[in-house]
Amino acid sequence: MDDSPTAKFKKEILITGLGGQGIILAGQVLGTAACIADHLESTLTQSYGPEARGGACSAQVIISNKQIHYPYVRSADIIVCMSQSGYDKYRHMLADDGILIIDQDMVRSAEGAGGGLFPIPATRIAEELGRKMMANIVMLGFVTSVTGVASLQGMLSSVSDSVPKGTQSTNIAAFNKGYDFGQALLKARQKKAAAKKGADS
Amino acid sequence: MEDDLKIILFLCNWCPHAAFQTLQDTLAPLPREIRMIRIPCGGRITKSLLFKAFETGADGVALVGCEPGTCRYGIGTRVAERNVEDTRGILRLLGLGEERLGFVSFYPDQSSELLDFLIGFKDRIQELGKTPVDYPRRTKKPELSPESAASILAAHNINVCQDCGKCSSACPVALSGKQFSPRAIANAAVAGDLDSSCIKEDIWSCLTCGLCYDRCPSAVNFPDFIKEMRNAASTNGRFEAHEGFFHSLMRAMTSARLPVEHWRWLPPEIQTDPKSKILFFGGCAPYFDTFFKNHLAISTSDILADALRLMNFFDIHPAIMHNERCCGHDLLWSGDRDNFVKLARLNVEMISKMGIEELVTACPECYRAFSHDYPENGIETGFKVTHIFELAEAEISKGAVGFAKLNRKITFQDPCRLSRTQTGCQLPRNLLERLNVRAFTEMRDRGASSLCCGNCAWTGCDSYSKAMQVNRLRQAKETGSDLLVTACPKCQIHLKCAMEDPFLEDEIRMEMMDLTSILARTIQWE
Repeated sequence: MDDSPTAKFKKEILITGLGGQGIILAGQVLGTAACIADHLESTLTQSYGPEARGGACSAQVIISNKQIHYPYVRSADIIVCMSQSGYDKYRHMLADDGILIIDQDMVRSAEGAGGGLFPIPATRIAEELGRKMMANIVMLGFVTSVTGVASLQGMLSSVSDSVPKGTQSTNIAAFNKGYDFGQALLKARQKKAAAKKGADS
Repeated sequence: MEDDLKIILFLCNWCPHAAFQTLQDTLAPLPREIRMIRIPCGGRITKSLLFKAFETGADGVALVGCEPGTCRYGIGTRVAERNVEDTRGILRLLGLGEERLGFVSFYPDQSSELLDFLIGFKDRIQELGKTPVDYPRRTKKPELSPESAASILAAHNINVCQDCGKCSSACPVALSGKQFSPRAIANAAVAGDLDSSCIKEDIWSCLTCGLCYDRCPSAVNFPDFIKEMRNAASTNGRFEAHEGFFHSLMRAMTSARLPVEHWRWLPPEIQTDPKSKILFFGGCAPYFDTFFKNHLAISTSDILADALRLMNFFDIHPAIMHNERCCGHDLLWSGDRDNFVKLARLNVEMISKMGIEELVTACPECYRAFSHDYPENGIETGFKVTHIFELAEAEISKGAVGFAKLNRKITFQDPCRLSRTQTGCQLPRNLLERLNVRAFTEMRDRGASSLCCGNCAWTGCDSYSKAMQVNRLRQAKETGSDLLVTACPKCQIHLKCAMEDPFLEDEIRMEMMDLTSILARTIQWE
């Protein structure tokens, strides 16, 4: 991050979803980008249920410009939910001014959050791009776009370093799709706040 | 003499001519710059004839007729008024100034008033100065020679024609009942029968819509072949629609000094930025609206305004070129390559000077010309060419954009230059499917197989074109839709013309709207 180095910068991020959605990989990509490209400290812890696939799981990432002494999330600044069960299990951990990011097709009953609720049909977008398993990468693009928790350049290089060889370009396309969606969403909210809905007003 | 003003006086045979004769008989001091042409009636001087004088270098044109009510034929004065009004609109857009076209009427005994008018008109033209239109000294093209025909044959590989006739069985011109066959044209060309009507006449009837090319098992690019044959054949104004008005207009626009005012009508709320690297190239819609104002009452300029609104919606504020000219598409496709190249060079020079990196247009023909015909004729553009649909699709697919409900049932008329020859027919359909309408129903002939609106490059319009249009509108009605969506201003013009039929009326009448306009009017942030 470009924030002034003397100020304390710390973000607790919790990514949840189902086993197999690539939740842990998403956490890893995010932490790596913060660490390698943005020269911050980061930690990753993970938890998943007894089922190898399909059960609720979560990745907890902490990014800070100071040393991190405790690697678990206590009060999340950002929660990313890619499944209803993950939402139900972890929603209470969101800070009062925390940002809630959901896959709008996977999480049906999300309530607003102090820092804002940002929905994206990440799984559907990934399906349209041809691979449902890229939903996590689409989501990362969206998270980068709406929260700015890691730099765009850092995320792009982290994504291409973390995905299997030969799939870099499709994953980068998925990431950009999510990023663009986030930018469009922010713009839409800005326009609506300025009471500009259509093209003629 | 070369520097003398050239003023053309179209003088009606009846009332004012008597006054003019009195002036001649009394050796009145008629300005020598004025060249009188005696005409049967002021109403017979069409917009095309009025404008042709300007195209060929007139500094001023005066149409002098009879007072309303004294017209020998009843409606002449009224027709003349309308023609003058429309032509003045065109002169205004071109920056020539409407004052260069004078229009008055006199009684036979008003010879001194006529003299006053003529002297006053000459003085006014003198103040305005010489016309900025360079008279395009057209070299008369020779007849089609066997050598040039042979080289076109070779270049387009016409010899691979298998004589199967798939082209003729799909050709909309042939299906409308005309004695016309692409296969027969190919055969005549292969046989070297350059005097046959197949070559001399039929090459001007082709729509160059490309349906035959789509069907040809040997992939003979027939539209391109026709284009080359037209360019090699001696120009034949006989086949120009609207008496060649639009061809005159395009040729006049090749003059570099012409201070065109293409965008003065643009609504003030539309935001443009002269420093932008993106140019919005509008196309000839303002001329169409002016020319057809009293006939079809079309409003194709709305498409340009709506395209700009759509870009503004996405926070794109493109540059516009105030002296924008025609892209020249129709000159090339009606056999006037010299003037096409002249216009194309001028366009590219003006656009490059603005530092443009991307050109966006909502007109399929401009799109085709800039992206395809310019480079093919050795004019490198150096900027990217984007159709507004490509831009819209890219922006909309980023997300957070939806469409307000449009309570209509729609069907879609594909523009040949976009659907069959450039982006393919899926691009507009992607956008159509995003719309929030009651129903979208395709016509019987659709996509790559869709029927042309009946004319291309203002060439070869006849009763068969009309038959084709009526057929197409019946197909549109058949879908049960109440709104015909188009994507080219000319589709609207041509189909609207067919709808004017006084006998068929409601059977084929249907509201039309361009897809760009629908997008701009219903798009919203979600």
